Amino acid sequence: MKLHPRLWLLPLLLLTGCSPAAKTTSMGQLLGRAENGFAQVLPGKALTFPTDHLAHPKFRQEWWYLTANLHTDDGTQLGLQWTQFRIALSADAPENPSPWAGNQLYMAHAALTFKAQHFTAERWGRGMQTDQAPAQVSGPPLLVQLDDWQWQTQTAPNNPNHGLLPATLTVTDRQFAYKLRLSADAPLILQGDNGYSRKSADGKVASYYYSQPFIQVDGEVQHQGHSQHVSGVAWLDREWSSEFLSRQQQGWDWFALHLNDGSCLMLFQLRGSDTNDKPFYSGKRMFPDGRSHSLSAKDIHMRPTDWQQTASGRYPVSWQLSLPTEQLQLDITPLNRNAVMPLSVAYWEGPISISGSQQGVGYLELTGY
Amino acid sequence: MNDWHLGWRALRVYLAHYRQAPLQAGAILLGIVLAVTLLIGVKATNNNAINSYQHAGEALAQQASLFISASGRDATLDESLYFALKRHGMTALPVVSGTMEDTEGRKWQIDGSDIVAALRSFQHQRPAIDAELPLAALLSGHPLILVSRSQYRAMGFTDNAPAQLSLGGLLLQVESLPDSVNLGNRLYLDISVAQPLLQLSGRLSYIALFGDAAQLKQQLAQSELPLAGLQITEQDQGKALTDLTHSFHLNLNAMGMLAFLVGLFIAYNGVRYSLMKRQRLMLQLLQQGLSRRALMLSLLLELLLLVGIGSFMGFLLALQLSHWLQPMVAVTLEQLYGATLLPGNWQWSWLTQGAGLTLIAALLACVPLYWQLCQRSIAQGTQRFAQQQLHRRIHQRLFIAGVMLLLLTAVLYPFSREHAQSLALMGLLTVAMPLLLPQILQTSLSLLTPLAPAGLPRYAIAETRELTAPLALAMMALLLALCANIAMNTLVGSFDQTLRNWLNTRLHADLYIRPGSGEMSALQQYLDANAPELPRYYQWQSPYYVANGDTVQAVNLLSRDETSIAETTVFKQPDGQTKQHQAVQQVLAGNGIFISEPLALKLAVHVGDNLRLCQDSRCQHPHNTVIAGVYFDYGNPKGEALIAQHLWQQLSLPVPPYSLALGGITGGQAAIDNLGQQIAQALGLNPAQIYSQQKIRTQALKVFNKTFSITLVLNSLTLLVAAVGLFSAVLMLTQSRQAPLAILRSLGVPQQQLWLMLLGQILLAVLITCLLALPLGAVLGYLLIHKVTLQAFGWTIMQHWDWLAYWRVVGLSLGCCLLAVILPLYWQSRRSMVSALQQEVL
Repeated sequence: MKLHPRLWLLPLLLLTGCSPAAKTTSMGQLLGRAENGFAQVLPGKALTFPTDHLAHPKFRQEWWYLTANLHTDDGTQLGLQWTQFRIALSADAPENPSPWAGNQLYMAHAALTFKAQHFTAERWGRGMQTDQAPAQVSGPPLLVQLDDWQWQTQTAPNNPNHGLLPATLTVTDRQFAYKLRLSADAPLILQGDNGYSRKSADGKVASYYYSQPFIQVDGEVQHQGHSQHVSGVAWLDREWSSEFLSRQQQGWDWFALHLNDGSCLMLFQLRGSDTNDKPFYSGKRMFPDGRSHSLSAKDIHMRPTDWQQTASGRYPVSWQLSLPTEQLQLDITPLNRNAVMPLSVAYWEGPISISGSQQGVGYLELTGY
Repeated sequence: MNDWHLGWRALRVYLAHYRQAPLQAGAILLGIVLAVTLLIGVKATNNNAINSYQHAGEALAQQASLFISASGRDATLDESLYFALKRHGMTALPVVSGTMEDTEGRKWQIDGSDIVAALRSFQHQRPAIDAELPLAALLSGHPLILVSRSQYRAMGFTDNAPAQLSLGGLLLQVESLPDSVNLGNRLYLDISVAQPLLQLSGRLSYIALFGDAAQLKQQLAQSELPLAGLQITEQDQGKALTDLTHSFHLNLNAMGMLAFLVGLFIAYNGVRYSLMKRQRLMLQLLQQGLSRRALMLSLLLELLLLVGIGSFMGFLLALQLSHWLQPMVAVTLEQLYGATLLPGNWQWSWLTQGAGLTLIAALLACVPLYWQLCQRSIAQGTQRFAQQQLHRRIHQRLFIAGVMLLLLTAVLYPFSREHAQSLALMGLLTVAMPLLLPQILQTSLSLLTPLAPAGLPRYAIAETRELTAPLALAMMALLLALCANIAMNTLVGSFDQTLRNWLNTRLHADLYIRPGSGEMSALQQYLDANAPELPRYYQWQSPYYVANGDTVQAVNLLSRDETSIAETTVFKQPDGQTKQHQAVQQVLAGNGIFISEPLALKLAVHVGDNLRLCQDSRCQHPHNTVIAGVYFDYGNPKGEALIAQHLWQQLSLPVPPYSLALGGITGGQAAIDNLGQQIAQALGLNPAQIYSQQKIRTQALKVFNKTFSITLVLNSLTLLVAAVGLFSAVLMLTQSRQAPLAILRSLGVPQQQLWLMLLGQILLAVLITCLLALPLGAVLGYLLIHKVTLQAFGWTIMQHWDWLAYWRVVGLSLGCCLLAVILPLYWQSRRSMVSALQQEVL
């Protein structure tokens, strides 16, 4: 799973450009507001591809979210992120026939993280009723675009990813740029219960959620005037819903882990606004051959071991994870402790390394701090 | 005890004195307050406007660095270029703009852009926009207009009723945003509504690009975008507008300074009067052992205190004054120069500047007075005769100085080439005029004395001469204000007349239509089918550059059909019909160019001079031509040039005409309006695209009236300040004369005669001042018209004298004096004669 803080507040943030509004407001209060008219996430709905790779404008929010753990030819470790968000401002399509008129708003984030450096960038655009629109999601072949940032899938018959991969991802900003070639032979993994992912214990809040955590990456990264060849692994999350958190939820800690045995592990906890509230845990172990199994909440134990004070808040950047049923005892440490995304919405997101009963790399996202 | 301590004690004595005679301190404070109010009020207004030019960006967006537009006036771009630029990663903003008319015939400037791109144009700090901004409604294309809070109120909307505006048959809801979002006077719409409303679906007026201009240019050059034939212009941070409006602001400043001067006259008069009243008190202080230094120190401290208090009060009033003046200035700048004014912020530095200037002026004026007073012998009392002799000498010297300055002005007049020099000449004249007054008053009264019947009338006139000295300063201030008012009224009246005459020649068609380049052929076809008999006149327009030597000037390049060029050009040069006919033939053959008067003055060129026509400001491939004529133009301060179609085509300028005019419509205004409506309906044009001659005339005069409203208001304020000064001076004078008047009464002069005498004396002095103001005001007006306005705006104006306006200001001055005399007389009549006899003698 890959959540994003205060997503329905994004239109507001577009206007004000403020950093997180009121610290005292819980994430649940912000994201939990029910809105009539939007499509609801229901259990038992089968996801269909390639249709579900495209946008779901009837739902309030959605994202295409890629994180990658890479290394340069000389062995330097780095991480990068690209996300395109879609936010529907109303449930109904506008009456105005102008191609400019619409109810969809797009935002994209990108980051490039080295041990001592961290670059971030952001783009915004409006959804339009024209093929030429600079912000759009179209296909097949799948195109996820905001200005000159784009995910472009290449046609490849019989690919197990149903039109998602192979693809090229291009991001250019003033300080950095990257162009990645992405491919995967492993099938897509449906998170939660066949793609229906609960976000609260009572099951009132949920999303549709699938992932491709076994992506092979090869490409070029540019920063500070020079270009470097990079390779490594990446993880793509696709998720959409109309209501994200319950009113009582404050934020989340999300882990995307590539273990050395070739498996991947997705874990998250949703924290309550009251520190006495028990967090909601969820997790899944995934294998390249398509096998996967969910973890029971009682079998997930996570504990922060180190904190980092940043300009936008204090974040728990090191963790100890204990998963007895998986026989995993993992220590998580960040590649760069200051991997804050100081954008319209501020959060911490960065590459991590894994030690303990297994070695590996991955990504950590921390919100609501 | 040291001097500081003694000085402080003396100051406390003065304060006790002012508690007894608040009118004296009040008069000084009033002068300072009025002076500072007008000085800072005008400064704040000017500063805000200039600041706006520099910082005004696109509506709700940052200031752009580069603009891409199509060549040809009102030409548009295909919106696909914007999409391509975005896909190239450029921070860009698509803009559509135009003018529309509402159902009541009011014109509105519409600015439309992509709201998301606008808000995201800010790289770093974004302004705090009200979180209530209806983003969903804007994005989904609801008919919604955003305006600033000030504009919302200016449009007559209140928070109590729904605000709506009907444009192009669409009812739009108007919502206001805080002034801090820098919308200025613009009407902002999202592009999804603005495009269809302006009939520009799929088209853009221009694209604004954000970021480093040099980098952007490089990016554009390296891209394979279809930019051929498009204009790429760089942001000049308001430089062009600041240059263009320089004269306007200089004029406002000059008027602010004049008002400041008039205010200072009042303050100075107050200081003199209060010193006169305290002479005995000061002698007593000196006799009691106060050192001369301590006395001087106390007087300086008093002045400092009064200037401090007065400046602060003036500063507060100035902010309010500026608040009132700004909408007026905004209208002028918007209509005349197309500027957008943003809300301004006041600065403490204005207070320090105002107070500093006032203090310097007050010290310069008062220190000699203080010095004189402090040097007086302790044994010496008030010597009236010696004082009168001194005043006479001073008046004579002032007169000589005034005459010298007048002569200097006359000598320098032919050498003044620039607007600023002419303003300086006017400054000389302004100083000279009041210097002449006291002596002229004295002399006129001396000449009048023997003509008056013996007895009380002759006594009255003889005494008026003695009153000249105490009244001189107030009269000088009045003279200044009167002259400025007469001059300004002359300018406005003359311009009105000139503009009307010019419009009569310039407007030869009945109906003017501006359909947009895409609709011109449809309009022609419609006219072929429905009104083939009506003569048609065409006009082409395109932004272009002309160069003379190293000076490259952006102009509006025009072309007209042959008949229009021959019949509607109102020539300044050459003189004579034959020469003008030859000039027209020269231009029609493509061998010459006509330029507007403002452009000719700006480039300092004349008929026969060579000029280069250039596509851009670099002027790389110029077309050389010669100036065949200079024509009057009161509509476009930017500068215009007119060429014939022959040359227009040679320069590969846009082929479709910009506007089309129809003549020969029979059946009066109703038939003209009817045809206009038919055309609008048939082609789906909005009312702002069709104008009848009558409508143009009305609008031109309306704009003209608004242009001068700010200057007229400032002038009236100056006159008001002078009137207040005169009122306070006469009030103080009449009050100080209670003792001699009581003597006259005790000698048997009836109360009624006494009243008549007092009124007559003051009115006589004012009348002489008004008479002097007549020629001096006319001279000032002449300078204003034939030098300042001509050089500042490039407008030749025929001088026209407005007697009605003259009598109005004379009436105002007399009314003010009447009130100022009657009030103390009324007070006096309520006091016993004994108490009046005990009053201090002047």
